Amino acid sequence: MSALLDSAQTPYLFLILFGFLPSEVWRFISAFVARGIDENSEVFAWVRAVATCLLAGVVAKLVLSPSGALALVPLAARVGAILAGGAAFLLFRRSVVAAVLVGEGLLIAAAAWFT
Amino acid sequence: MTVLPESGSPAEPPLQMGGLTRFEWFFEGVRQALKGPAWIVAVALTGVGGLAREAGFPFGAAVASTLLIWAGPAQVLFFGAVAAKMAPAAIAFSICVSSIRLLPMCLSLLPLLRGRRTSLPTLVVASHFVAVTVWTESMRRVHDVPRDARMAFFFGFAHACILATAAFTGLGYWLMGDLPTPLGAGLLFLSPIYFITALARNAREAMDWLAIGFGLGLAPVAEYLAPRGFDLFFLGMIGGTAAWVVGRRLRAGRAPA
Repeated sequence: MSALLDSAQTPYLFLILFGFLPSEVWRFISAFVARGIDENSEVFAWVRAVATCLLAGVVAKLVLSPSGALALVPLAARVGAILAGGAAFLLFRRSVVAAVLVGEGLLIAAAAWFT
Repeated sequence: MTVLPESGSPAEPPLQMGGLTRFEWFFEGVRQALKGPAWIVAVALTGVGGLAREAGFPFGAAVASTLLIWAGPAQVLFFGAVAAKMAPAAIAFSICVSSIRLLPMCLSLLPLLRGRRTSLPTLVVASHFVAVTVWTESMRRVHDVPRDARMAFFFGFAHACILATAAFTGLGYWLMGDLPTPLGAGLLFLSPIYFITALARNAREAMDWLAIGFGLGLAPVAEYLAPRGFDLFFLGMIGGTAAWVVGRRLRAGRAPA
């Protein structure tokens, strides 16, 4: 791999071939399919539900099996910070900023305490 | 939306831009992004720069990864896999699988952006900018923008997000590694706490709340049951379909046609 990355252009080629194109293909396909979707149709509602569910799953994965420094924080603190953020969200009339600030504050405090 | 018939060509009603020009809508998008979302995604992806450096990539490639891939999880996966010396074909495959989520995201946003004169190339270019932050924020904001101004607004919003993030990826390339552990943990926590509140902010009906609940609740189960790498795909299909079915029942029960 390091030999592959030695020449000046190869890292970019590598990025395009094995990083950019495999993810971009879904966007490209969707642009064609999206032309046939009516925003008032049930298909559209279903696609929105699938995307929302998938994203909530991403959040759960990030919290339950984190990487790096976040893995050093106990599970209870990670889940607790999410719940506290949710409480702040409801308390401050659906404010995303309040939720992020409260959740982050709690998590960083817990991280400082436990690590 | 009702359009009053105006004099002139009946086949081509005037564009609905809400009294602003295309440029003004573009910069309205930029303005709204810079009021918050652009900075959140930028800070959340700072770590990607550090990962790129650890994997042996040059500075330019780290920044290019944000401009080209423009999907945090895929970028983390990419540089992590290269650092772990995974085979290129395996890297491409796992990136491809992890990015399936872009499909329902694009399909649920592009129809909202499309105006009467939107061409296919414009949709293709717009699709490139769809990523979690841009998706969640646009899904809500676009409803306040007149139909024919939505694409201009979206491009302004998305450009501000992607350029701010590219700058922070570059910053992270030089700064990461020197960060104290609590701040590093806080940085990694920014994506989940922001994504989940943004989803809750977007929820408009029972179906949305059900989809969020199923996604959170079923994720640990899916990780064990689904084939490796495909857990989120199955989770989205099963949980999302269940949310749609139940949401539809509730909607039908509340408002009998």
